Amino acid sequence: MKSGVIPVLSIDEDTIPRAYEKAIKEVWEKGTSVRTEYDRPGDPPSRDATVIITVRQPFGQPRFHRSFADGLGGLSEYVMEVVHGAHDYWVKPVEEILKGRESKDTRWTYTYHQRLFEYRIEDEVVNQIAYMIDRLSKTSYTRRAQAITWNPKLDPPTDDPPCLQRIWGRLCDDDEGGYVFNMNTHWRSRDLFKAWFENVIALTTLMRKMAEAISSKTGTRVRLGRYADISDSLHIYGSYFREIEGDAEKGIQSFFEKLENRTFEERTWNSEFVKPFFINDGLGKGLRPMLEREKEMPQNVRKAIEKELRLMEKDDYVV
Amino acid sequence: MDILEEIASEVVKGDSDSVERLTTKALSQGVSAEEVLNKGLVEGMDVVSKRFKNNECFIPEVLISAKAMKSGMETLKPLLAKANVKPQGKVIIGTVKGDLHDIGKNIVSMLLQGAGFDVVDLGADVGKEKFLEYAKKENPDILGMSALLTTTMIYMKEVLETIRNASLEKEIKIIIGGAPLTQSYADAIKADGYAPDAASAVDLSKSLLNK
Repeated sequence: MKSGVIPVLSIDEDTIPRAYEKAIKEVWEKGTSVRTEYDRPGDPPSRDATVIITVRQPFGQPRFHRSFADGLGGLSEYVMEVVHGAHDYWVKPVEEILKGRESKDTRWTYTYHQRLFEYRIEDEVVNQIAYMIDRLSKTSYTRRAQAITWNPKLDPPTDDPPCLQRIWGRLCDDDEGGYVFNMNTHWRSRDLFKAWFENVIALTTLMRKMAEAISSKTGTRVRLGRYADISDSLHIYGSYFREIEGDAEKGIQSFFEKLENRTFEERTWNSEFVKPFFINDGLGKGLRPMLEREKEMPQNVRKAIEKELRLMEKDDYVV
Repeated sequence: MDILEEIASEVVKGDSDSVERLTTKALSQGVSAEEVLNKGLVEGMDVVSKRFKNNECFIPEVLISAKAMKSGMETLKPLLAKANVKPQGKVIIGTVKGDLHDIGKNIVSMLLQGAGFDVVDLGADVGKEKFLEYAKKENPDILGMSALLTTTMIYMKEVLETIRNASLEKEIKIIIGGAPLTQSYADAIKADGYAPDAASAVDLSKSLLNK
């Protein structure tokens, strides 16, 4: 029987991979069935829930789950896209975005970095992350440090409006005279199985950058608190059900069997293993190949990524 | 475990350094480059490909194994060319114009190389002119196209018509794949094949070339 009520689930884990696995299990078992705009003919309805996921140690190890739809080099490029704006130059002009589905320009309509760092409003460009850092540095306990992505003029006409809607952050005092930076991210809609993990790696990297910037501005030690991730619709698409459920007759293992058949260590990686692949995965992806490949990347972005690369090459830098 | 089995095992584990070391060692022991390729590197990637098809391993693991295979291939390549060892077939592959998503295409590319195909990867955002240029230059057996967006998949028909209307040395089989695609779309644009996932793309390529 259909209740028509969307379940609200809450997950609280130490690390990102633990939270990811728990979320898949919970949404699969307790989610409701809902159709989406992306379903292909014949796809079953998605499994869907409103979910709040807390990761108590965003950089706790092992930090990387092995289940995501890219390589490690590709993941590092995505982190650069969100944190440093590596692909802001792939965004099409506003006049093309406003044409919506009529636009023949297939470039992107947004990047998270562009919306967070260069939000356009009334002919002005606002760096909302700089605002958050300034605001928190001046008034640690403020509740107003937030950054939005949604643009009510640009987003409704497009086929792929942003999933991330808002970032909110707050500092709390710790017992040793320092601050703890807690961050919440709010998502309109989210592909749990194939996007959540990569999103969280990028957003927690941004969280750390913000904590470092606040520390530098205030001269106070800032450590990372918990990361809370709130999705209105966290879903597993119907097109993924074959991967999740498996097919015993065809010898295809279910996702849950895959988890059962390996130890937690065998289904995750720690940052130390991942770092060389972030720098160069040997297959044309990673920071070095990206800088080599993307000749049109603006100089200021290139410089920021080169700086990131130099940091990554240090032994104590954790990706 | 003999040295070729060791190479295969290290490819499965994704240990590039070991694969490179063992490849050099096998050659120094008098094993032919062709044997190292087929019974070591390809054998290892075949295990990875089967595991991937059966949902027993994760995508990043496949790519780490592909990197390990590549590190062995770099040592073998000049020797294979010298011995005139032919690949399974030649494939040019790319994500179509306007589409910057290349993950699926990259995995197909890696698995095809793992199965012994010579793959020329044209990257993402590839126009019909570039596909044609490489079809002429590389004389491939197969041309593979990928798209992630409904707005870009329609461009596949243009590429297909460009290739079919050009006078080329041989008939190139055209295969397509990507999240929004279906067999019925492949039939509608008269592609030679559609693969719903990366592992199937390898099977499809082999079957089109009767391998």
